[in-house]
Amino acid sequence: MDHRILTFAFMEPPFESERTVTFFRLLDAALAQGAGVRVFAYEGAVALAFARQAPHGNAVHGRDAEQEAHPLSKDWIAALQAKAAEKGLTFEWINCGLCVDERGVNEVIDGCGRGGPPDLWRYAATAFNTLTIGTR
Amino acid sequence: MSGYLFIQSQDPFTEARTTHQFALARQLFAAGHAVRLLLVQNGVTPARQGAQTPYFDALLRDGIPVSADDFSLRQRQIGDADLKAAVTVAPISTVIDALLDGNKVIWN
Repeated sequence: MDHRILTFAFMEPPFESERTVTFFRLLDAALAQGAGVRVFAYEGAVALAFARQAPHGNAVHGRDAEQEAHPLSKDWIAALQAKAAEKGLTFEWINCGLCVDERGVNEVIDGCGRGGPPDLWRYAATAFNTLTIGTR
Repeated sequence: MSGYLFIQSQDPFTEARTTHQFALARQLFAAGHAVRLLLVQNGVTPARQGAQTPYFDALLRDGIPVSADDFSLRQRQIGDADLKAAVTVAPISTVIDALLDGNKVIWN
């Protein structure tokens, strides 16, 4: 590994806040600039990688699921995993296990793991820099 | 001297705490630190010309560099010409540059 690693701590659930979009834009920008990424997801953010997310249509506007093209955060994570692999960069994702159990979102997409606060400590201690995005 | 980048997502019209966030940035700047702000999300709204935001405007008067995220501006249909004179437009990669330069990057 010859690239610098940035750690991100994030707690926002999917489908709720503009912060989630900004967070994913930051991850994409990090990979674009050749930095590796490690994410510690806690509280509601553990559902970002939930494998059973499903797209839906929009009956009010008369669009089916394909036409609606509802964005799913699990797909954004998968896209970032693919981008990192293509560029030979680190991309790791750990969900806080306690937060996962509380929400029953144990089924996550491949490449996302389960851990706890010590992982955030390890990530932050070994990263070149760390950004914590708190929910206000 | 440290370098600080504040990512300002909150706006002064709905978040009273921005008064203290802006004050902290000014205090760090006055103490000799390299301080700058990147406005994101609704944080870009005080950058619009005519916005009555005295605590935000004080940052500009002090000479603290303030940029606004291009994507957040486009989402709100705020063009470059709509911005207060001292505010520049920047990409989100500004944050990554700051992190890789070893700055302290703080999300507000």
